[in-house]
Amino acid sequence: MANVLDLRRRIRSVKNTRQITKAMKMVSAAKLRRAQERALAARPYARMIVSVLQSLIRRVDLYDEKTGNLAHPLFLTRPEKRVLLVVISGDKGFAGAFNANILKTAYQFIQGNPGKEIDIEAVGRKGRDQLRRRYPTAVYSEQTEENGNKHQVRQARKGKVELTGDHPGMLLNLQTDRVMELAHSIINRYVHEEIDAAYIVYNEFKSVIAQRLVVEKLLPLLKIGSPQITGAVEPTAEEKERAAEAALSAGIELEAPDMHEAEEEAKKFGTANVDYIYEQPAEQLFAGLLPQYIFAVLYHAMTESVAAEHAARMTAMDSATNNASEMIDSLTLHMNRVRQAAITKEIIEIVSGAAAL
Amino acid sequence: MTEETNQLRIRLVTPERTLFEAAATAVELPSKSGDMEVLYGHAPLMAELGAGDVRIHQGVGLEQHSPDTTRYNVSWGFVEVLPDRVTILASDALKPEEIDVARAEQQRATGEKLWNEAGDSEDAYTEALRVISEAEAKIASASEQS
Repeated sequence: MANVLDLRRRIRSVKNTRQITKAMKMVSAAKLRRAQERALAARPYARMIVSVLQSLIRRVDLYDEKTGNLAHPLFLTRPEKRVLLVVISGDKGFAGAFNANILKTAYQFIQGNPGKEIDIEAVGRKGRDQLRRRYPTAVYSEQTEENGNKHQVRQARKGKVELTGDHPGMLLNLQTDRVMELAHSIINRYVHEEIDAAYIVYNEFKSVIAQRLVVEKLLPLLKIGSPQITGAVEPTAEEKERAAEAALSAGIELEAPDMHEAEEEAKKFGTANVDYIYEQPAEQLFAGLLPQYIFAVLYHAMTESVAAEHAARMTAMDSATNNASEMIDSLTLHMNRVRQAAITKEIIEIVSGAAAL
Repeated sequence: MTEETNQLRIRLVTPERTLFEAAATAVELPSKSGDMEVLYGHAPLMAELGAGDVRIHQGVGLEQHSPDTTRYNVSWGFVEVLPDRVTILASDALKPEEIDVARAEQQRATGEKLWNEAGDSEDAYTEALRVISEAEAKIASASEQS
């Protein structure tokens, strides 16, 4: 049987662990609050881009009657043969099953589309590390054209699924220009027919208790404004309860703050029932607005994913803290029993020693 | 009509947050096809913005440096003008004092390099022009305040 000293040492060590997990939980809670604020602050812009596009589409014919051209190549749909999958995971671990769940959803998507060639764009370090082990990275070589222009040419595929790019650290310090770059690269690939569709896998986050894993269709643009969710995994009731408990103990509001009024206001942008003077022709407006829209969708997905990651870490650390407390209790109980047993034994020894005299 | 009703409601929104929201008498906008000024009662208009300064005049006078004028350097975006409301959607907006001149100079150099390397590609020229005009607008905006 372990002696009292050993047990005391164990208890001390578990107490230290509990301190650390508790601190990590509080840090995550603070970060979650900031991430939530950022997600909310980004909403008016996204909402306005959507409403102005919707109103533009209502007023302007997508097809040019005379030439039969589409107003913008992003409206073009093709049979889906090559698909781009943007996987948004976390940059750090210690977040429970957060990263594993995202990867699981991504793998399910890949398995569900066996006939297609899939390119993966990994955002977030954890997802990238896993995906890179599993799938080959696309190889590009630089070629020089006759007129001296250099451009990248992709070499033959090594497999059905390839990793075309990764963006580690993008989420740690979410900057709009990097997201914009990614949006432009996706649009370019679509316009040059390197891909026929684009999907994002991410963790949607409305509030601590309302979140789910979704696969959202980004391109082609079929309907602007309503996200085209092709697959969603809801957390179980038990998981929701755990998350709610963790949030309460960290002082985070369960429901997202009411933004309804501001949303309504933003929805009116560009939709007033009047004839606008369009300073530029519609094609040009589309050319300017659509990249902004793609950007807004991506940015939205990323801000929500960041918030979800912090929420997941907060929940995981809350569980760890609780487990540590339980462990300390049981160890303390055990230690007391051992100590008492030792004392009893000593008394018996003394008493029987005295009786023998 | 009273003073109150002759005011425009101006909103400047960037992807990250709503930067500015207040009433004003006039606003100058750098539209892609040229600068324009909007006063109360303007016809409904939708325009794409280029790179340049948005000037929001909250006072009565329209002097360049009146203390009631708020200036933002914006790069690319859209504006919706309604008779009593102006909403500016900017991809990027900075206050003049926030502009990093050294970085803008560097950006201009990059743009000029792109321009020289563009060759026959029209897209490359457009992109180079975009970078240069953004950098120049920033430099101009930063130098104006001093």
